Amino acid sequence: MIYQIILNGFLLGGLYAIVAMGFSIVWGVMNVINLAHGAFIMLGAYMTFWFFDLWGIDPFLSIPISMVILFCVGYFIQRNIINLVIRAQVFMVLILTFGLEILIMNLTTVAWTGNYRSVPTPYSGANIEIGPIVIPSVRLAIFLIALIITVGLYFFLGKTRTGNAIKATSLDKEAAQLVGVNIGKMYAITFAIGGALAGAAGSLLAILSAISPYMGGPYTLKAFVICVLGGLGSIIGLIIGGIILGMAESIGTVLLGPGYADAISFVILVIILAIRPEGILGKKFFAEVKH
Amino acid sequence: MGKTGFNRLGWVFVVLLSFLFLMEGYLSPSPAWAQNTIRFGASLPFTGRESREGRLSRDGMELWRDVVNKKGGIKVGNKSYKVDILFYDDESDPRTTAKLVEKLVTEDNIKFVLGPYGSTPSFAASAITEKYKALIVVGMGSAEAIFERGFKYLFGPLTTASYYLVDSLKLCAAQEPKPETVAIIYKNELFSTQSAEGGKKVAEDLGFKVVYFEKYPPDAKDLSSVISIIRAKNPDIYIVSGHFEDSFLAVKQAKELKLNPKVIIGNVGVATPDFITSLREDAEYVLGPTQWVPNQKTRDHVFGSAEDYTKLYEKTYGYTPDYHSAGQTSAALIFQLAIEKAQSLDVDKVRDAMSALDTDSFFGHIKFNEKGINVAKGMAVLQIQKGKHVPIYPPAVGLGKFIYPKPPWK
Repeated sequence: MIYQIILNGFLLGGLYAIVAMGFSIVWGVMNVINLAHGAFIMLGAYMTFWFFDLWGIDPFLSIPISMVILFCVGYFIQRNIINLVIRAQVFMVLILTFGLEILIMNLTTVAWTGNYRSVPTPYSGANIEIGPIVIPSVRLAIFLIALIITVGLYFFLGKTRTGNAIKATSLDKEAAQLVGVNIGKMYAITFAIGGALAGAAGSLLAILSAISPYMGGPYTLKAFVICVLGGLGSIIGLIIGGIILGMAESIGTVLLGPGYADAISFVILVIILAIRPEGILGKKFFAEVKH
Repeated sequence: MGKTGFNRLGWVFVVLLSFLFLMEGYLSPSPAWAQNTIRFGASLPFTGRESREGRLSRDGMELWRDVVNKKGGIKVGNKSYKVDILFYDDESDPRTTAKLVEKLVTEDNIKFVLGPYGSTPSFAASAITEKYKALIVVGMGSAEAIFERGFKYLFGPLTTASYYLVDSLKLCAAQEPKPETVAIIYKNELFSTQSAEGGKKVAEDLGFKVVYFEKYPPDAKDLSSVISIIRAKNPDIYIVSGHFEDSFLAVKQAKELKLNPKVIIGNVGVATPDFITSLREDAEYVLGPTQWVPNQKTRDHVFGSAEDYTKLYEKTYGYTPDYHSAGQTSAALIFQLAIEKAQSLDVDKVRDAMSALDTDSFFGHIKFNEKGINVAKGMAVLQIQKGKHVPIYPPAVGLGKFIYPKPPWK
């Protein structure tokens, strides 16, 4: 059974990493803690649901579509809403994103009701059995997609002009401006990427869980823990942070009982903050303390 | 630069606030209440997490209101009274429920309160009504704790949490070959915990061996590790005590991880149509208790039988009622039956008449114990067969056959 538990933790970790990714990049580059992240995830899940329900599009195929849509939503929200308070105190941004979350959730409830939805695919519940271990196929696929997106983001930030400009913005705003980087545009693109990643996470979650306007909230909390665990600004750190959290929850479930899953993640958070506040792979790079 | 940002935001705030104030005035009830109207009040979640259930509750209550008014109202002595219900939106927050119920009782001067949605808000609301000696019937509060405080002005038509799993387990105990082991997981919150503990006790009384009994966090989104542990214990009966999302997740992940018990019971959620549309064939053979089924044989003079009620409801709202709506309708109906019996609108007289009720209704038999719990109505048990909810227990209601054991996942 112990192998099964480790595998569960591993697969869960991949999911957690993709859930946290959009949150991390927005926090790292813009120093905005986006409390509406969970609401974006929820929107991604609804996109997948509607594409499946109305046109029968396979949930895995709708991932790029929901990414594009939420990219646009993110761009719009940053340009027209977040931008108003980006230079104000950090609390203003927190309150604004918190309000945005409530607004998005309630609009969703009004538009699509609070009924539970789901994406019942013929292959949901399929699994591969190797000896005593059962590998849920869908979760394995989701883990692989999380890896692909991680690698993609890593190369985007490291190898493309826009990616480098985003990195530069996060490192030193003034210097980036001096060499001709349009900060406002970079912020909008970063927030849009955050939205797109939330959209991808939402599409993946749509395959796994029941969809409702209130599904996103707990994921914002998980994203927060994972960011701190992995280190802000480290894309690879997110995967590691996600897997550590997933593992800790799985193994904790066996050792202490499932009731303590939340407690375990917060104990780990406190330990990491105490002994390595920059996170496991965090560098003084994206998350340079900005006051 | 920073200042401009602030000012613009400030403007947005001012505009929003003034809009809200305007809305407040607009939404307030009109002061013109007719003299011969009995006024009821309810605080329900129309927005927020439980807005769906809030809607179902409101539909259930309004159906009663319209039926009663159409029939000429409630007769007290020689006078017929129309009924009206004042609704407030508690935004799915029990603290708001308490405040709104206080407003209903003190400002709107309403003495007959229809319960909110859910156990926690019912707990909060009944503390307020008791304080002001207003009468409350909680149509959707089923945790024992609500009734454990010695309150005099509180009644509830539902079977309480600890008895939720009793009938399902009794049904299992009667099967051949008899299942032997039970695993129970439950959400760490009031209702689910009480249900699970009640289930554990009954399971032991019926001679089952409880091999696993654990809680999980209220916002758990993944149960794979719990299910892997249960799989290693290979129980005959696998029970999840939570809400819709929990039953959904527990069944879906049981299939993913090849947990193959003889019986799967979802405490809440299985009885909703969403459960079947969400899980499709994976929902097959899952068992779920429910407060009410439209096959109930009992009847009352307002709605007739459960079947008549269902037909009327479907005609009015275009969807089939489940126990959420029916429970709230029954709460209002109980007020009516008690007022008719008391032949008075005095709160204490209605209260005494209510506590003495011993009558049939479309919702089942109604008779309260000294705590205000309806002890006369048991739970029905449904099994999902070929994409439909089939009632299989109790025998008086049961029309279908229990398919046991559940075939393994394909």
